[in-house]
Amino acid sequence: MIDSLYLGLGGLAVLVALIAIRMPIAYSMILVGGIGITLVNGPALVLNQLKTLAYGQFSVYDLSVVPMFILMGALASRAGLSQDLFRGANAWLGWMRGGTAMAAIAGCAGFGAVCGSSLATASTMGKVALPELKRYNYSGALATGSLAAGGVLGILIPPSVVLIIYAIIVEANIVTMFAAALLPGLLAVLLFILTIAIYVAIWPEAGPRHDGVNRAEFRAATLGVIPVVAIFGIVLGGIYGGFFNPTPAAAVGVALVWIYGIFKRSIRTGELIGSLLETASTTGMIYLILLGAELMKIFMSRIGLPQATAQWIIESGLAPMTVMFLLLMALVLLGCLMDSLSMILLVIPFFWPVLVDLNGGLYQAADGAGFGMSTEDLKIWFGILALIVVELGLITPPVGMNVFVISAMAKDIPMIETFKGVMPFFGAELLRVALLLAFPAFTLWLPRLLAG
Amino acid sequence: MPDTWTRGHTGAFGVAARIITIWAILGGIVLLAVVAMNVISVVGAVFGKPFPGDFEMTEVGVAVAAFAFLPYCQLTDANVTADIFTAHARPRTIALFKLLASLVALLFAAMLLWRMYEGMGNQREYGYTTAILQFPSWTAYIPILISLALLVVAAFVTLIENGRRAAHD
Repeated sequence: MIDSLYLGLGGLAVLVALIAIRMPIAYSMILVGGIGITLVNGPALVLNQLKTLAYGQFSVYDLSVVPMFILMGALASRAGLSQDLFRGANAWLGWMRGGTAMAAIAGCAGFGAVCGSSLATASTMGKVALPELKRYNYSGALATGSLAAGGVLGILIPPSVVLIIYAIIVEANIVTMFAAALLPGLLAVLLFILTIAIYVAIWPEAGPRHDGVNRAEFRAATLGVIPVVAIFGIVLGGIYGGFFNPTPAAAVGVALVWIYGIFKRSIRTGELIGSLLETASTTGMIYLILLGAELMKIFMSRIGLPQATAQWIIESGLAPMTVMFLLLMALVLLGCLMDSLSMILLVIPFFWPVLVDLNGGLYQAADGAGFGMSTEDLKIWFGILALIVVELGLITPPVGMNVFVISAMAKDIPMIETFKGVMPFFGAELLRVALLLAFPAFTLWLPRLLAG
Repeated sequence: MPDTWTRGHTGAFGVAARIITIWAILGGIVLLAVVAMNVISVVGAVFGKPFPGDFEMTEVGVAVAAFAFLPYCQLTDANVTADIFTAHARPRTIALFKLLASLVALLFAAMLLWRMYEGMGNQREYGYTTAILQFPSWTAYIPILISLALLVVAAFVTLIENGRRAAHD
């Protein structure tokens, strides 16, 4: 038993080394997982499993929602939705000091409601909002910082690809997870807008006040948002209301965004092919990682490493909340180095059994539980917290992909300015994590309400 | 859009890149078909005429589409890496790492092609079908095996190109 644990730890070390030398994360997992299983159980088992493993993994029904939401996001970023959203938000918020940056945040939130990716949200809204922010003489730090931070809303506001993957790993209901993510997502919007309000109260020249729009523009801009709200309402409202499963809902969403694009004459054959190829890249990448993660999971569970880790942490006698804090810290640190999806796939299979054991087992009710809630609730609560902290890596050095994306668009603003501009939002995110940790009810209220 | 299709590759590699790109678009069209089927199913359910077997055909369709995307991912270097540790490495070192990654991709693709070919045989032998529509499962393996063959080609293309880069720099 000890030997196989060393094998597992050795496997993890090799995995980290491979990832560090730019081996694609999917292939690193495939290699370590495949060779690991071979060492534990011999080659016959791996060869036999490879006959059906990939097909079995790719044809999981719950996963089918992933490529559809990716396609919906790809179409949405070409359909001109972002212009309408920003114009609408700016008509409502733009007149305030810092209002155009607030409108960018609101636009990101709206776009996040049809798109499950952070980078796509940052880049799509960036294209629309950066020129406007510049026109109104916003400081480079505030303009790029708001957009880099706003991009995070793409993943926090459902639909979110990372959240779907989390739900599949821990066997949670996707609809429940989407319901749980909504209020924390809106809290992020609120806190980001407050952050801007405080920022411009301290540095008024960063977001100068400008005239509001006239009545006609206000009306037109407000009306322009209606289709987006309708799409969001039908897709997510339909899911929350139990009218359809996530997969048909996503299909309807794809159709609606496409129709919107046809009406706006923004989606023609070229844009459609572009959307399909973008979907191909993202979906292929995600599915290959899923396959690698499955091989890693088989390897790790055969040698019992996740269980051993859980046992070890239990025996350490740390309080449940201390462990929760440490796990979230680990996610923040890893999030600075890796993309969030691979990280969720790599570490959740280790972290989740630890939390289950600390709570008192998979079927623990709220009474006498380590975290004071049933394991089903813990699944939801931890999922939302994990989702938030893994995304922090998108706006922090050294990787900070959102910052890179926005920086690449705003070439006249040095990247260090963007990192500076994003820091207040990082603070807002830490505050949000603290609030959600202190008040689990905030996350759990809506799913409970919908469950009746 | 010549460049979209060949991805900057020339000669035989250009032809391969074009085929792989078209194959990914075909996969996307399969995905669109799954989307359409689900929309019809939703609308049909409203009028009391649900689409039988939409569940299982979604599974088959999405799996076929996802496999069709893999060669394109390999060709366009879309598989996510963590670049942070090698951000300051010399271009030649990075080219060597990429060469290694392409080699792993090539070996894995070839192995999966071989194993899933066997897998198709088993599916056919045992006569597995989907539950409702009795759609024979092995037929879904045909486009998938083509996808895997193209993945071998894509990995080979990246292997040679990264090899050239490593040798030149």
